[in-house]
Amino acid sequence: MLGLIPTLSFAQNLTDGLMMPKKTFCTGFMYMHDRWTDYWEGELKRDNGNIGHVTTQSLTWVGTYGITNKVNVIAMVPYVKTKASQGTMSGMEGLQDLSLGVKYNFFRKKFEKSAFSTFAVLNFSTPLSDYTPDFFPLGLGTHTTNLSYRLTAHFKIEQGWFVNASGAYTWRSNTTLDRPSYYDGNEFVMSDEVKMPNVFDVFVSMGYHKGPIQAELNYIQQNTLGGGDIRRQDMPFVSNRMNMIKTGALVMYYLPAPRGMAVRGSAHYTVAGRNAGQSTTLMAGVLYTIKFDKNQ
Amino acid sequence: MKNKNIYIITFLAFAFVLGIVSSCDKEVELSETLTPLEPASLDEDAANWAPIDANAMTIEKIVNVVENSTPKVFNPPADITSDAYKAELATIKDAQSKLTKEQKDIIEYWSGGGVLRWNQILRGLVARFNLPPAPKADGSYPAPDAENPFADPNFPFANPPYAARAYSYVSVAQYEALKAAWHYMYQYNRPSPYKNDSGIQSLMPETDLPSYPSSDAVLSGVTAEMLKLLFPAAVEEITLKAAEQRNAALWSGKASTSDITAGLALGKSVAALFVTRARGDGMGAAGGNKALWQSLADGAIAKGETPWISLETPKRPPMLPVFGKVKAWAMTAEQIAAGRPAPPPLTSSAEMQKEVDEVKWYADNLTRERLAIVHKWADGAGTYTPPGHWNDIAAEYIRDANYSEVRAARAFALLNMALHDAAVCCWETKFYYFNPRPSQMNGSIKTGTGVPNFPAFTSGHSTFSGAAATVLSHLFPSHTDYFQSEADEASLSRLYAGIHYRADIEVGLQQGKSVGGFTVAFAQTDGAE
Repeated sequence: MLGLIPTLSFAQNLTDGLMMPKKTFCTGFMYMHDRWTDYWEGELKRDNGNIGHVTTQSLTWVGTYGITNKVNVIAMVPYVKTKASQGTMSGMEGLQDLSLGVKYNFFRKKFEKSAFSTFAVLNFSTPLSDYTPDFFPLGLGTHTTNLSYRLTAHFKIEQGWFVNASGAYTWRSNTTLDRPSYYDGNEFVMSDEVKMPNVFDVFVSMGYHKGPIQAELNYIQQNTLGGGDIRRQDMPFVSNRMNMIKTGALVMYYLPAPRGMAVRGSAHYTVAGRNAGQSTTLMAGVLYTIKFDKNQ
Repeated sequence: MKNKNIYIITFLAFAFVLGIVSSCDKEVELSETLTPLEPASLDEDAANWAPIDANAMTIEKIVNVVENSTPKVFNPPADITSDAYKAELATIKDAQSKLTKEQKDIIEYWSGGGVLRWNQILRGLVARFNLPPAPKADGSYPAPDAENPFADPNFPFANPPYAARAYSYVSVAQYEALKAAWHYMYQYNRPSPYKNDSGIQSLMPETDLPSYPSSDAVLSGVTAEMLKLLFPAAVEEITLKAAEQRNAALWSGKASTSDITAGLALGKSVAALFVTRARGDGMGAAGGNKALWQSLADGAIAKGETPWISLETPKRPPMLPVFGKVKAWAMTAEQIAAGRPAPPPLTSSAEMQKEVDEVKWYADNLTRERLAIVHKWADGAGTYTPPGHWNDIAAEYIRDANYSEVRAARAFALLNMALHDAAVCCWETKFYYFNPRPSQMNGSIKTGTGVPNFPAFTSGHSTFSGAAATVLSHLFPSHTDYFQSEADEASLSRLYAGIHYRADIEVGLQQGKSVGGFTVAFAQTDGAE
């Protein structure tokens, strides 16, 4: 995995402009397949015969619950598995990070034929296993505890067309290696602790959402606010300045039966990056919505 | 009403967490902090301690250089009552009256001990330059070029043998230069400026060490010259650090301008002797050439063995195949050949198959605990290498022993000459037998760290660790158990990682201990103990 928070591409619920109604629980599983061959070593695009294609697969449990119509709680638990097609390096697998978010629809304005809403999301994530942060590009993640502040604006017209824009600032804790010193790309540090730069992301989408159908095109940009570049022929390092721009499409469809059952699929491609793999990401999932309050 | 409460709680939670985050301090806690050095003994007789390589440098040799150069390297000091010296004292007073925060930090930094500081800097340089060249589009690999060190690839590729040699040259040259400093300091007995003028403060711990020539300046001169040879692309930071060390000696009231000028000249003169040794020690030919690489494979095939093959794509030439012929410090070429371990199991033997199967089992059962051990000791590309790791381990013990600078330099010199000799012996063995890595014998063996690009038998980590633990156990006998257990763990980490057979690590550890024994034998009779 040579991208930081790939959860973004399937953490649709954190970035979109939709809310689960009160006492409604939506849950399901998402399968993701991400693969890259070329990557950016700093800003130099290259491939590497010692890793070939790097494939990351994950299976993520997701759950969203409506505490009220305006406050939702969103949880995710991914199991991640990595593999390189060439070379001798061992792949990794294991539970990655628990993500727990609160989404608050703090403003809503209805016009005659349209509606505008804004959302604030506070998301917390923390490792669920003691996977190593020191095995990029085949590690499972950064092994940091993260806190994201996200603001989202959503505008939709009566016919079902919408635009959605979201941005977040993610604070990341430092991470700890199993070794007593390291070179972070800029300097030699005599410590097992790595200072982790924070991350900023932007997520913009436009599409159609009416009845059982939701379809959108989206743009995702993630920038690490600091960190060193991968040096020439060096291995990537956990605190590298990993930046990327991805574009993609997502479709979600509520099946006529059984009631409450939906399928979701998406595809993304990395169009630009720095210290990141040029990945193609495919995702497919099944979601089921349960209403606990029959009166609603 | 209930909903309203939820919104208020949500809002407060957002604000509260923001408060926590914005007050969090991300500065990392550094290990190996140094406090101002207060040596337990001045080691007044250090100039009489035996030279490490009498062919390269003895006190007689350097005295001959100092006295018989035209002009002389430095002259005897002016009297402390002379106007010239009084002017130097006035300069120090002036500098001390307007020290900036930055200058005070520089004094504090260097008060931790010049030998320890340079060792830290050297580890950083090795980590920075320890990157293999990237392949060219045609699949070949460019060689780093000492005459064009800033190009891609940078010179040097500070891999383990290169690093072992670099640590040893810097440490040995520092040690011999400080002994020369001690010779002259006790010959001239000029006290430090703060002893000659009560208006000058001592901003580092006071000692009775004479100051002509300044031992700090000697150290700055010898180290900078050695580092410029070994890491020419880092010339800017090296010269800045060296100048900083001399300024710290001046600003702290420890040395005057003439103390420093003489010290710098002496340090450079000693470095010149070791640069001459380094240019003729065989390193220039250690990379071999295409014909030699092929002959290694042909030789193994002729013996009925499966030859080592690079596991990189594209295939990379082996790392420094002729490093085994580089001059050692405490061993002769004959002793090196005589100490070469008996051969590993034949590649076609059942015994070898058993060894491969054991590696396969560890590779397939890499627990988190074992992975942590693998990564603790990996010391691969982009790190200070296993010799650097042992310098890292040694530094705390040398610091805590409150050694004088010359005795600290001796400790690092002993450690690093043993590590260099371990590199020579191990590489001699590796390229004598040229046997394959486990992943070559069984392609399904996936590893917990990169597979080094040279033959397996014997394990470099094990040889380095055996040698280092032996020398450190001699220097700090009450910590023998710790050093030995670290060496055992470093050695086993290579089996856990799936990159070495058990024979490589067990024989390598023994080989290292025997190599370390040569250095210990020197240390027992050099007059310092």
